[in-house]
Amino acid sequence: MIYNRLSVFRAERGLSRKDIAEAVGVNPQTIGYLERGDYAPSVELALKLSALFEVAVEQLFSLKPFAPLAHSLRDQES
Amino acid sequence: MFIRSKAHPFGRPLQTGTVRILLIVLYAFYPLGCILQLVAGGSVALGLAGVALVVAALAAFAVLAGSSLHRQTQEPESLLDEREREERNRASFQAHSVFSGIVLIGVLYMMLTADMAANGKLDLWRPTDGTHWNAIFGGLILLSFTLPGAVLAFGKAPVEAD
Repeated sequence: MIYNRLSVFRAERGLSRKDIAEAVGVNPQTIGYLERGDYAPSVELALKLSALFEVAVEQLFSLKPFAPLAHSLRDQES
Repeated sequence: MFIRSKAHPFGRPLQTGTVRILLIVLYAFYPLGCILQLVAGGSVALGLAGVALVVAALAAFAVLAGSSLHRQTQEPESLLDEREREERNRASFQAHSVFSGIVLIGVLYMMLTADMAANGKLDLWRPTDGTHWNAIFGGLILLSFTLPGAVLAFGKAPVEAD
């Protein structure tokens, strides 16, 4: 299982699934499958997506579940 | 066979539930329609009911043939993305197993019924004329075209729209 924060980054940038799909050359449905965790991307697609959001690939994908955003913010403040 | 329209070059996006209903109509109505025509004898009503069921099944196939899910099973690899290719390959493998099983059972049935009839033991129905064979081949062609899509439709959860 590969976890990702695709929906968080997508919402932050105000992009639609179609926008992302066109940028990385896949079907918009594939972005939906990725966001739901129903599909693990190839290395190529993971790298394309991380390049699109200008983040390291491990910030976008992980083998362990990501901590909720609220927890991360609370940890930063304390 | 994928029917591409100008309005939907990537296939008509149908809900997974709709595709499942169309597949059930196709797989239930076609054989039922053929059997009704077979047993109709002199009954015009039964014959017409059989024809109506086959027409309904073919109409369901016509809608399925233009759907985005069917496109995924029929499109050249270069026009699919990595997820679609992976799903299609898995579905084709499963569909091949099911199709081979159905054909093997059919051949075994015909072999046994022909053998039993030749020995005068039991005379079960088996295809004897061109109409029977046409109906069987028509069904097998429809099945081979739609089975990978059926594996996809019944095997995955629908994705909500953006």
